[in-house]
Amino acid sequence: MTRTISLSIDSRPECIELLSCALYGLCQLTGLPATEVARIDLAMVEAANNAVEHAYGGESGHPVVVEFHLTPERFCLVVLDRGAAMDSRQLDLAGTFGDPDFSDPDTWSIRGRGLAIIKSCMDVVEYHTRDGLNALSMSRALGSAHPA
Amino acid sequence: MVLTHRTVENIDIVALAGRLVMADVPQVRQRLLAIVEQGSGKLILDLAEVGFMDSSGLSVLVSVFKAARAKSGEVVLLHLNPTVRSLIELTRLQQVFSIFDDEATALARLH
Repeated sequence: MTRTISLSIDSRPECIELLSCALYGLCQLTGLPATEVARIDLAMVEAANNAVEHAYGGESGHPVVVEFHLTPERFCLVVLDRGAAMDSRQLDLAGTFGDPDFSDPDTWSIRGRGLAIIKSCMDVVEYHTRDGLNALSMSRALGSAHPA
Repeated sequence: MVLTHRTVENIDIVALAGRLVMADVPQVRQRLLAIVEQGSGKLILDLAEVGFMDSSGLSVLVSVFKAARAKSGEVVLLHLNPTVRSLIELTRLQQVFSIFDDEATALARLH
């Protein structure tokens, strides 16, 4: 059986913390340790940041919706927006982090690495756009530690 | 986000408290860059009370580090909690930032 709850915030950075507060409450139902919950929180925050910053271009007054789907086996989150769609190839191209070079500041930047962080924190990450609605879904198996 | 600033032997020590996320980035970046600009360029960031950081927060640390390096200084990190340490290790930035668990050692590094 899947249990679902949906939350909507305004597309302002200061509202994203509200989603985190809800996530921590919901994760009390999962039995996940605090370190794993923090990884899911990081993935969700990065996805919400992308919706606010890139889909809506930093403009407030638009909805960012997060659906939480909980089954005994998996915890799935879907971050939805109606802003500018992302090129879905970006998700495929977001890979692992290379080693920065201490002597070369150009290699230190982590701008635009939110998708790579999301992929590293969750088991399955997918992106779809349909009828102007963009959906970044991510899920995590319950009952096992996520590989570092 | 609460920011507390003090100076020890010409080294700036800034303690942050709260979540360092996109909502806080403009204010925190501005204040840290001002401290680096006005100081010696040697900065200890005490993150003991930062319970969560996202990539935009981490980008603040990187931009402050670049500003410090431009003054021949350095930014070192102190008292990382496991969540923040995990993000820094995930992004491999422990190869850029020196990380310490006690202030005396961090001060010795910057002297």
